[in-house]
Amino acid sequence: MSVHSLEIRRSSASLLGGATGMRALPDVAKYVDTSTCIGCKACEVACQEWNDLAPVATHQVGTYQTLPTLDAGFWNLIRFDEREVDGGLKWLMRKDQCMHCAEPGCLEACPAPGAIVQYANGIVDVNPDNCIGCGYCETGCPFDVPRFSAKTGKMAKCTLCVDRVSVGLEPACIKACPTGCLHFGTKEDMVALGSARVAQLKANGFPQAALYDPQGVGGTGVVTVLGFGDHPEWYGLAANPHVPLGVKLWKNILRPIGLIAIFGALIGTVGHYFTYGKKEYREEA
Amino acid sequence: MSVASLDTHGADVAVTAGRDREDIVVGGEIVRHRRSSRFIHFAVAATFIVCLLTGLPIWTPFFTWMATLFGGLSFCRWLHPWAGIFFAVSSLVMFVHWAGQMTFEPGEKSWLSPKRLMSYLEYRDDNTDVGKYNPGQKLQFWCAILAAVGLLASGVVMWFPASFPQIVRELSILLHSLTFILFVMLITWHVYLGTAAEPGTFHSMTRGTVTKAWARLHHPKWYRQVMGLEK
Repeated sequence: MSVHSLEIRRSSASLLGGATGMRALPDVAKYVDTSTCIGCKACEVACQEWNDLAPVATHQVGTYQTLPTLDAGFWNLIRFDEREVDGGLKWLMRKDQCMHCAEPGCLEACPAPGAIVQYANGIVDVNPDNCIGCGYCETGCPFDVPRFSAKTGKMAKCTLCVDRVSVGLEPACIKACPTGCLHFGTKEDMVALGSARVAQLKANGFPQAALYDPQGVGGTGVVTVLGFGDHPEWYGLAANPHVPLGVKLWKNILRPIGLIAIFGALIGTVGHYFTYGKKEYREEA
Repeated sequence: MSVASLDTHGADVAVTAGRDREDIVVGGEIVRHRRSSRFIHFAVAATFIVCLLTGLPIWTPFFTWMATLFGGLSFCRWLHPWAGIFFAVSSLVMFVHWAGQMTFEPGEKSWLSPKRLMSYLEYRDDNTDVGKYNPGQKLQFWCAILAAVGLLASGVVMWFPASFPQIVRELSILLHSLTFILFVMLITWHVYLGTAAEPGTFHSMTRGTVTKAWARLHHPKWYRQVMGLEK
């Protein structure tokens, strides 16, 4: 949902005038520590409750995971992955949600003016007033997050509780977390918190621990502490996510060339007519 | 319309003859496109124009204003794929209708050389060997069929993105853009040549008839065949 008390830094499909941000706001971020997540799903429930999202039907497939994947009516999913590491079983849990990229592929792919906005504090949000439900953002997102809602004909995803954040509250999921594995604050503070936790993990048997804040998308609004930081794919995260090449080629190369080519063809016909005129049978004088 | 094309009751003999027959001389005119040919041509044209006007505002905000013609971008997004289905179906019917007449005959490919095409565009080509359709028109036909296939295949993927893998979606978006850009350039010239540049040509697609002078100028071989001067 679009919250107008926050200013807009970037707006989809806007030629000029999309950015309204005048005030300097610090970037905000969620901090997720996978090493202290206990998979209680309190964040899932808090998300559903605060956003008034109805339960989504599912079926048991032999996992603790609530749904196989995110849904238009389910924006915060704890993923459970089992993995054998050095002969022992690791039960990896990760909070799957919109990553609120600094360079959002969804926003870049979106064709509807103002349907996806990035606020001055870095939150990336879908504005359903303007969304046309085309699904281009699904292709633009390197994290497979936006979902099409058959009910509304529009896209839906985590808003980073922009309605709460804009009035000085922390997101619902953060408030519900019982272990302190979730925190919310400025991006700077969350990176500092994450780096400290990574140092702690490295000193305690996780030499490969790392903070996941991928620079391929300019960093994300969700910074994640990974015990096995050398294997983000174990947690369902791309090793080096970036705005898809196809989307960049389409928007930045093919589109301007196409516009010039089409207008060129149009001007060409005018030039032809001015140069050669009509082809017509004329009686000999 | 010449007076000669009316019978004593005032019926338009060229139009009535052109319901089911073409390549015939009626009342001083030649029927070039029978009724079904004209219907199918404009079915493709109309569905394409709806696709174009609903697609351009989704392609770039430069054309957002066009969405107003249809009541907004959301309706464009709904209408575009359905109009695309009708465009594809119309193109299929057009293919069945015209494919036989649009096959290239031996020697015709040389007409498509840059030199010959330029002399055609500069009105310096003598056209003596040009039959009912010149090789440029045949090429236009096959490009239209190819474009319909490319736009349909990529469009279906873009319609249901969640059902296709990421790489297929990206390639489809690029293919849809590229095909449409090339096709719009082609159609711009097709419409220009068929209207402003060649008086009488648009007439053949509405009323179905052309004058003998038009036929002799643009399609001399076809003219000789219709007039019974050549087999």
